[in-house]
Amino acid sequence: MAIALHLRKPPMGGIGKRVAYYPGCSLEGAARAYDVSTRIVAKELGLELDYLEDYNCCGAMETKNVTFWGTMLLNARNMSLARRQGHSVIVAPCNGCSFSLQRAEYFLETDKKVFERVNELLKEGGVDPLDEIPHTYHILEWFYHEAGPEKVKERTKKPLKGLKVANYYGCLYTRPHYYARTYSHTGGQDEEARPRKRETADDDEHPYYMEALLEAAGATNVEFEPMHTQCCGGPHSLSDEQVSEKFVMMILQTAKRNGADIIATECPLCHASLEMYRHRLMMKGVPDVDVPAAYFTQLLGIAFGYSAGDVKLKDNLSDPIPVLKRLGLV
Amino acid sequence: MAIHERSLVEPERILRKERLVIDGVDVSGDWNLIILPRTINDYDLSFYEEVVAQPEGKTIVNCYQCSYCTASCPVHNYWDERYNPRHFIYLARLGLIDELQKRADVMWRCVSCHKCTHRCPKGVLVEEVLKAILRVMAKRGLIEEYPSKKFDKFFMDVVYEYGRIEDGELLFGWIEKQGYKVVKDPVLKKPIPFMGGVPEWLKQLAVKPIKNLNIDFLLLNAKHMLFHPRTKNWNRFKQVLRKVMEEEGVFTH
Repeated sequence: MAIALHLRKPPMGGIGKRVAYYPGCSLEGAARAYDVSTRIVAKELGLELDYLEDYNCCGAMETKNVTFWGTMLLNARNMSLARRQGHSVIVAPCNGCSFSLQRAEYFLETDKKVFERVNELLKEGGVDPLDEIPHTYHILEWFYHEAGPEKVKERTKKPLKGLKVANYYGCLYTRPHYYARTYSHTGGQDEEARPRKRETADDDEHPYYMEALLEAAGATNVEFEPMHTQCCGGPHSLSDEQVSEKFVMMILQTAKRNGADIIATECPLCHASLEMYRHRLMMKGVPDVDVPAAYFTQLLGIAFGYSAGDVKLKDNLSDPIPVLKRLGLV
Repeated sequence: MAIHERSLVEPERILRKERLVIDGVDVSGDWNLIILPRTINDYDLSFYEEVVAQPEGKTIVNCYQCSYCTASCPVHNYWDERYNPRHFIYLARLGLIDELQKRADVMWRCVSCHKCTHRCPKGVLVEEVLKAILRVMAKRGLIEEYPSKKFDKFFMDVVYEYGRIEDGELLFGWIEKQGYKVVKDPVLKKPIPFMGGVPEWLKQLAVKPIKNLNIDFLLLNAKHMLFHPRTKNWNRFKQVLRKVMEEEGVFTH
């Protein structure tokens, strides 16, 4: 007996200029810089973020190991809030958040029992049941498709000339394709039931959206495969220090040895993990790990003419300011 | 017959002879390596059924043991080759629970990068299946409490309590659980980041915003530590969460 994957067809066409914005817990705390710079970039690119009022934690990569139904509920509640605000598209800037919402989307779609039970439980918890399941996108995909490199180029006032960037996407931006819809299955018998790639999705093994946007802003991208999608330790950043340290060391050393001045990130967890282990590795005296990290939106913000204070560069514990100062960017 | 990587054979079962004569025929050279047969004492098919019964575990039925998952796995490739997702699925299907138990010390190391799930040609949600296997093992007492499980529970408790997480609390709460001495202020019982016996790297990182005079950042985080961010109307929803978790037998708050 094989399990058929009855996923609905991915949405075709654009994502929309006005979407529900699910920032996630981290962006309102330690990763404030990402939130602030994301809003700046969205404003500059003529896009509108509708803040999801009163959201709850998506459960990240942790709660799903404890409880299946609890995690479904957490995400269904956020989806329900988006529906209440009249949206059928949610955009999340964090890999973990977009993963969790897309995972819930997958199980709600493929398993009717899950959908029905979750709706009942939502009602019981005082939240509107889902009339439809909203689609979730990573914010990078949204920027690329609704604005794109041309718009970034047009808005750039201070090109990031001479800045060599290693683009770090992390794991869950394009993976797994069953949730992120980044790959079309071939083969199998049931044409309708096959998982399909979403039209707007990035390449699954060789993502390039961040590279394209930063290149349009004047930066030079260094070769960073295959470390651009290598895990940073993720949910084990705190609980499995040995493995996380080794993974981060590999990422940082590859970036440095390929000549990068800075690592551009697009997930608050990856970012925190890189910065934390960078410091620890430097304390241990490991060579070639001193590349600082900045969110790609911070770099875009600088290219759009904003100051280091506007995009909160001081918040980055890895201190990218000296590198940018050397190139006369801040 | 499943694929047998060399690393899956215990060293004591590998017999190598310099010279070997069988029935008067000298077979030294190519034929001098013998793998002793292993004895399987017991298998338990109900283990597999229990994995399939879970919503995340049911795609295990699609697995055809191609080993794409193991070939992609960063923990297997860069950390410990004993971590072998394909093999874990194989053992779970046959119900060889004592073999699984032998690998309990590495089985929790999955970093959830989803390379395995992404590349699986058969639609097995490998990462989810492995977590389902782990959960069944824990339920049956085949695996001891492991670090990531402690962290997952801790995380779930915070989410359950407030509806949201806060980085400072998560970090220092975890550090405290690790056995480090965290100094707390006497009134509100909140941790003071750069004092006490916290690890040196954490002290240095906690002092950075102060050195940088990043005042609004400090104020924001101090505010969050004092008044934990909460989701409104969480109490009613919390009851439902509690209900489903009690049904699953995982409610420990």
